[in-house]
Amino acid sequence: MTDLALSVEGLSVSFEGDGGRVRVLHDVSMKVERGRVLGVVGESGSGKSTAALAVLGLLDKGAAIDAGKVLVGGRDLYAATDEERRQLRGGKVSLVFQDPFTTLNPAIRVGKQIAEPLMMHRSMDEAQAEAETLRLLAEVGIADPARMAASYPHQLSGGMKQRALIASALGCDPDLLILDEPTTALDVTIEAQILDLLEDLRRTRQLSILFISHNLGVVSRICDDICVLYAGRVVEQGPTDVVLSQPRHPYTKGLLASLPSLSVERQRLQPIPGRLPDTRAQLKGCIFAPRCHFAQPRCSSEIQELHTAQNGTRNRCWRSAELADTPWRAEVGEEVARRAPPSSDAPIIVDAVDVEREFRSGGVFDALTLRWNGWRPEMAYRPRVVNAVDHVSLTIREGEIVGLVGESGSGKTTLGRCMIDLVSPTGGEVRIEGQTLLSASRSRKRTLLRNAQIIFQNPDSSLNPRKTVREIVGRPLAQIGLGGAERDKRVDELLELVRLGSRYAERYPHQMSGGEKQRVGIARALATKPKFIVCDEAVSALDVSVQASILNLLVDLRDEFGLAYLFITHDLSVVSYIADRICVMKNGKLVEQGRTEDILEAPQHPYTAALLAAVPRVNQHRRAAGA
Amino acid sequence: MAVAAASNSQARRRPLPASLKVGAALLFSIVVLAALGPSLSPYDLDAMQLDVRLVAPNAQHWLGTDEFGRDVLSRVLNGAQSSLLMGFGATAVSLLFGVPLGLVAGYYRGWADETIMRAVDVMISLPPIILGLLILSVTSPSLWKTVLAVGFVYIPIITRLTRSITLEVTGEEYIQAARARVESGWYILFSEILPNAWAPIIVEAALRVTFAMLLAAALSFLGLGVQPPASDWGLMIAEARPFINQAPWIVCSAGAALCITVIAINLFGDGLREALDPRLSRRR
Repeated sequence: MTDLALSVEGLSVSFEGDGGRVRVLHDVSMKVERGRVLGVVGESGSGKSTAALAVLGLLDKGAAIDAGKVLVGGRDLYAATDEERRQLRGGKVSLVFQDPFTTLNPAIRVGKQIAEPLMMHRSMDEAQAEAETLRLLAEVGIADPARMAASYPHQLSGGMKQRALIASALGCDPDLLILDEPTTALDVTIEAQILDLLEDLRRTRQLSILFISHNLGVVSRICDDICVLYAGRVVEQGPTDVVLSQPRHPYTKGLLASLPSLSVERQRLQPIPGRLPDTRAQLKGCIFAPRCHFAQPRCSSEIQELHTAQNGTRNRCWRSAELADTPWRAEVGEEVARRAPPSSDAPIIVDAVDVEREFRSGGVFDALTLRWNGWRPEMAYRPRVVNAVDHVSLTIREGEIVGLVGESGSGKTTLGRCMIDLVSPTGGEVRIEGQTLLSASRSRKRTLLRNAQIIFQNPDSSLNPRKTVREIVGRPLAQIGLGGAERDKRVDELLELVRLGSRYAERYPHQMSGGEKQRVGIARALATKPKFIVCDEAVSALDVSVQASILNLLVDLRDEFGLAYLFITHDLSVVSYIADRICVMKNGKLVEQGRTEDILEAPQHPYTAALLAAVPRVNQHRRAAGA
Repeated sequence: MAVAAASNSQARRRPLPASLKVGAALLFSIVVLAALGPSLSPYDLDAMQLDVRLVAPNAQHWLGTDEFGRDVLSRVLNGAQSSLLMGFGATAVSLLFGVPLGLVAGYYRGWADETIMRAVDVMISLPPIILGLLILSVTSPSLWKTVLAVGFVYIPIITRLTRSITLEVTGEEYIQAARARVESGWYILFSEILPNAWAPIIVEAALRVTFAMLLAAALSFLGLGVQPPASDWGLMIAEARPFINQAPWIVCSAGAALCITVIAINLFGDGLREALDPRLSRRR
């Protein structure tokens, strides 16, 4: 009993929803042994964050524990009195949230924010707390703890903030650390550093960690055990390498098959069709059956219980033994050979020549400086200038997919927007099919830009919430003078093209899932039959299974219409899957570009090599079995 | 999208919010009463009966009489028209100018923003009464001038509100998408941004109607709005203030009329906002 830092037994949690109680966790059991890391993975809506909050006893007012127990260090959290629970929480368990950018109070110095709980929970006086704060900051790898403690949050980078939060969580000397997507908001190189830090802490402090993530690569890197959640149920659990190399539940197999890998060979991704079931629906069979292509009549009539497979892992599928070695394949018979990248004499679609974009930072008055020239005062207007894009040239040919990677602040988004004149370059020019956008008239630009469109990152923000899908997709058609029945017909065609179908035409954005919204965004971009599309982090906000189907769609559209993409992303595995050519950007400059194979196998620039090394991946042998 | 059927139920038309129904019913009856006021009222609005001055409510005079022996009920009914006109007219004026200015300032930024917002700062720093006085005292008072003056006073508030919402909406990617297809500024402002900015503007406008009625009343009290012996709720309150201890029914009647109207407008505005917002439909 005592070697368990955390034991969750048959936990069921429900929320007071609109249409009655909604159960979000069903009979969830998991254990974290002392000094081990348990990864809880699942897509959005799987209940993984609720599980974290339940373990801390931090559920909202409307939530109730319907059944089960949470034992922290052998003590029942929900049987304890409020005071005992507060002590458990303060002393044994700490939580680090996902977003380091909003968790720290911007108005209070970092040191004070870390010292405060020390004074409260460990009854230190101010001097002791301060000393302890510096020690903690040093422990999480901060080079200059005193300076860090005296800083305000806005003066720190995302990685530094996350380190500060981890230091703060360590303050009360916990046995169990709960990390809710701790690296999701960070760049890949920073993410790698934080993961290394956690690994160290786990060893030196004998910490037990509950690690919540949607990223299988990260989980496979740091976790000893894994627990896959789907719709509030544990569908598979066991040691990480066994589960990921020999997945037994179809959902786990599907997740792995949806994951683009950082490799040269390109298999078509195999997404999981459909979407999460309605949580209010009464369930008669397996929760995953509607999306599972292994499903048989028995699946929808028999509720599945966890059982142990031959390899020692546990799963919730009665066919798991029979299907043990059958890989997930959703799109049967759609194994189309991917078109070869265009030859070097294909016509040029977009051509950026020596593009430069400056941004002025600070207000008008920041830029005014006063100097004395002898006795005469001289006012000068010198705005601070940041070069977001610094003399970049980039040529994209018909049917070519160019991946543009770089970390946040590298200028990749600005470059993408320069290519379609959403941001005007301050130097150089962009030509679309050989015609310059420079000093083109408004109507000329409109004509030219019909050939160059954009797909955005955030499906929630890219569609006007007040308009129906028909209005959204129909607008670019109306602009080119298409009206009435003809326009409606074309909208239906476009929706068919993005595999949605015309029944979506009268919906509002809030009535669709993230993946469906993203498809509408693609349909809108395709409306004017463009030859070039900028995909600005177009799949980054989506769950893996949805991301896979959108990636497949984009590849199909390229193959069908010879579209060219500039695919901007921070995710190297996505880019290695989709791109013919990769450009790496850093501090506004293109530091390296070349064919995808060459970049992956032999990166020339040290920055590219560092980026590649930092990508967390599910090991090759694991994938081979999964896909 | 196999399970898409689940979301069809969401697309179903939802019932109108209760606040909208109640507000609309109240508002409708107030408008009808105001329209029919002169023919419904039992006495002439300026018929003085000096023998029944300051009489408490009774069978002849349901709401009592004022210091000149005029029937309070008749005056409340007759005052409705000018009060409503002031409230709605002035708000319409402030929306007509304030919303486009706010949209332009928030979307184009730069010098347009600076010019508009600095002008707004100047206007907002003057007390409304003074500003109203300034506008009205130059020319001879009349109802429509009061409406214009009061509306003018509230332009800055509407402009600021619209601008702040516009700033937020402009950051959304669908605005970027519209710019990527080189839409005209007019289309982006009024067809992409405005529909998403209506909700808070409507709530604010409902509040403005009531403030406008009160400001118009204050101006009437100062002799710059409705001229006695014509009737107006604000004017009635102002005139009856000295007799508040002897004859509270005058102030109370006009006050209650104002109060019910204000509540009706606020309910209506709130309900309208809810009904117009497709995103809220999931929760109903």
